Amino acid sequence: MKARLMRITVAFSLLLVLLLALPTLAFASEETEGTGIGIELFIPKPGEFFPMLVGFVVLWAILAKFGWPALTGMIDKRTQSIKESLEQAENAKIQGQQLLDEQKAELAEAKKQAAEIIAQSKQTAEAVKAEITAQAQHEAEAITSRARQAIDVEKQAAIAELQGFVADFSVAVAQKVIGSDLSDTEHRRIIERYVSEAGDFGDN
Amino acid sequence: MTTKPILAKAKAAVYAEVLLKTAPDPNSIFELASQFDQLLKTVRGSAELALTLANQHLAARERRAIAHEVFIHLRPELLAVFEVMVERGDLDVLARAHAQFERRAEQALGVVIIDVTTVVPLDERLRSLIIKKYASQLGSGVRLREHVDPGLAGGIILSLHGRRIDASVVSQLQSARSVLIRP
Repeated sequence: MKARLMRITVAFSLLLVLLLALPTLAFASEETEGTGIGIELFIPKPGEFFPMLVGFVVLWAILAKFGWPALTGMIDKRTQSIKESLEQAENAKIQGQQLLDEQKAELAEAKKQAAEIIAQSKQTAEAVKAEITAQAQHEAEAITSRARQAIDVEKQAAIAELQGFVADFSVAVAQKVIGSDLSDTEHRRIIERYVSEAGDFGDN
Repeated sequence: MTTKPILAKAKAAVYAEVLLKTAPDPNSIFELASQFDQLLKTVRGSAELALTLANQHLAARERRAIAHEVFIHLRPELLAVFEVMVERGDLDVLARAHAQFERRAEQALGVVIIDVTTVVPLDERLRSLIIKKYASQLGSGVRLREHVDPGLAGGIILSLHGRRIDASVVSQLQSARSVLIRP
C-alpha cells in the first residue's frame, strides 16, 4: 500500500513537471503568430520554473520524509483497525452463528424431551386411570358381595327367628291345649302310658 | 366357713346322723326326708335368703332367729338341726347333709325314695304301678315322694339320687320345638 502510494506520487510529480515544461515547446509557435499574451499566462517562465521545481522537490522531499510516512502510517493503522474490526466482526458472526446453532440444537433437544415427557405422562396417566378404575370396580364388587352376604345372613336370621317364633307359638298352644283341655282321668292315662314306656334309672 | 371337703363331708354326716336319730318312727323319717328336700329347694331357690343365713356379719343368734322364723312350719327336729347349722355357719354343707340323710333314711327304712312329679295327684293305681315297676328294677322297696306341677302339661318326671327320667309333655314339646327350629 505504501509502495503503491509512493509510486503514484512519483508518477504524478513527473507528469506535473512534464506538463509544466512542455507547454513552452508546444506553444512557442503561437508566440510569434499573435501577440503572445494569452497562452503565456499558463507557461511558466524559466526564471520561475526552476525555483518552482526546486521548491516542489523540496516540498516533495519533506512530504516524503515526514508527511507520507505519517499519512501512510495513519492509513495503515486505519487499515489495520478496519481489518481487525472486520476480523472481529467475522469472528463474532461466526461465534454468533455457532451460538445460534447450539441454541437451535438445544431448543430442538428440549422440545424432543418435552414431547417425550408428555408422552410418558400420558402413558402414566392412562395406567393410573386404568388401575383406579379396576380398583374401584373391585371394591364395588366386594361391597356388593358383602352386602349380599349381609342380606343372606339377615335373611337366615329372620327365617330362624320366624321359625323359633312359630315353634314357640306352636308349643305354647299345644301346652295350653293339653294342659287345660285334658281331664284328670286323661292325664292319669297318659301318666300310666309314660310309666310303662319309661326306661330305668340306670339308663340315664 | 367349711373349706376342706373331707371336713365338710364329716360335718354333713354328723348332721344327717343326728337328724336321723331324732326321728321317733319310720314314718317320721320319711316325713323328715320330704321336709329336708323342701328345705333345700327353698334355700337354693332364694339367693337372698341363702346370703342372709350365711352372712357372717350378722350375729349367730340373729341368723338362727331368721331361720326359725322362715322355717317354723318344719318338724321341730329338722328345724333344730337347721338352726344349729345356720348358727355355726355350716350352711354350705346343707346339700351334703341332705344327700347323706336321704341315704341313711333309705337304709333305715329299707326303701329307695323316688321323687315323682305329675300334673295331677297320683291315684292308688298309678302309685302301685310305679312302685311295682321300680321295686323290681332296683331290687329294693320303693317309696314315692309325690309332687304336683301343672307346668308339666302332662306326663311324669321321676328322680332318684340325682338321676332323672323325664317323661313330661312339656319336655317332649321342647324336643319338638328343637326339631322345628333346626335349619
